[in-house]
Amino acid sequence: MLLLRNLVEDSLDEGYARAASRREEGAPRSRANVWVLTGGLLLVGLLLTTAFVQTRDRAGSAQEARDALVAEIEDRGDANDRAQRQLDRLRAAVQRDQRNALELTGTGAALSDLLVTLEAVTGAAPVTGPGMTVRLEEAADEDGADVDPRTDETDDGRVTDRDLQTVVNEVWAAGAEAVAVNGQRLTSLSAIRSAGDAVLVDFRPLNPPYVVEAVGDPDTLRPAFVGGFGGSYLQVLQGYGITYAVEDADRLELPASAGVRLRYAAAPEPSPTDERDDKK
Amino acid sequence: MIAAIGLVLGIVAGLFLEPTVPTWLQPYLPIAVVAALDAVFGGLRALLDGIFDDRVFVVSFIANVLVAALIVYLGDQLGVGTQLSTGVVVVLGIRIFSNAAAIRRQLFRA
Repeated sequence: MLLLRNLVEDSLDEGYARAASRREEGAPRSRANVWVLTGGLLLVGLLLTTAFVQTRDRAGSAQEARDALVAEIEDRGDANDRAQRQLDRLRAAVQRDQRNALELTGTGAALSDLLVTLEAVTGAAPVTGPGMTVRLEEAADEDGADVDPRTDETDDGRVTDRDLQTVVNEVWAAGAEAVAVNGQRLTSLSAIRSAGDAVLVDFRPLNPPYVVEAVGDPDTLRPAFVGGFGGSYLQVLQGYGITYAVEDADRLELPASAGVRLRYAAAPEPSPTDERDDKK
Repeated sequence: MIAAIGLVLGIVAGLFLEPTVPTWLQPYLPIAVVAALDAVFGGLRALLDGIFDDRVFVVSFIANVLVAALIVYLGDQLGVGTQLSTGVVVVLGIRIFSNAAAIRRQLFRA
């Protein structure tokens, strides 16, 4: 307590009082003292403004770095989109040339027809046609959905990768010829997975609501889906606050899958021993 | 009057030259600022009390800054740098407050 009282009561530097008493004793004031004070105040001003400038610059540079990173992310994203568009264009050009070249001969024309069918089925080419859409909307956060004891309360009413997998599989089973989720065409090699809370299709994150578009026979596709396990699964999801809508569509346009790559099988280089075997 | 010009010159120099503080000095800058503020408020109070002395002000300012920095430096070497800077800021902060209160009493008689 003594320490604190000293601190509060003797807050003025003792030096001032001593200097004052020395002056009363008759010590002279020198002219040089003014310059000492000027220099001291100059130092005070310099120190305070330096600290101020330093702090302001540091805040500014952090903001600048952040802005630069954001701009770079946007730039790269744009470049990515441009590259993707160029890829789509080139792929279409290749397909066109391929078709033109094939149709020069009779067998080539037959091959070309087969190719068109296969490209539609495998997802290598965009397709249009009638079909249906299944729309899954997550429960709103404030919605008091039923609580599943197995999951966190916060995960209630969230569409998971498993839900989408089940719905998509049932859509295929109902006779769909081509399926896309939120504009991502599915192929036989597509993966629907999750990373954190986000659902990924072919490693691209999707944003809810999730729309499954399926091209197929308009007379049988929807009845088969709704009447099968897909319909009952959607009703189970509804119990968690997820709203869904299954609708017929007169004309759907599904893009080509971005993930189609040519895979080659190659025979291994024949080794010298194999060649000897062949000659025998 | 000449002294006030010194202060203005210091501020202007700081603003326009924008001196860069070396990295190893940066941890001591906040402490130095608090010590400088303490010296300034002490000087102001002495001025109002009529016992201001140039030499005491300058010496107390420089010594305050150096001692505060030295304490923090010592603390840094001994692993208690953060705690010691807190201590320096608290002690000097209390002094600044009570000096400011004395100045207020002098100025407003309240």
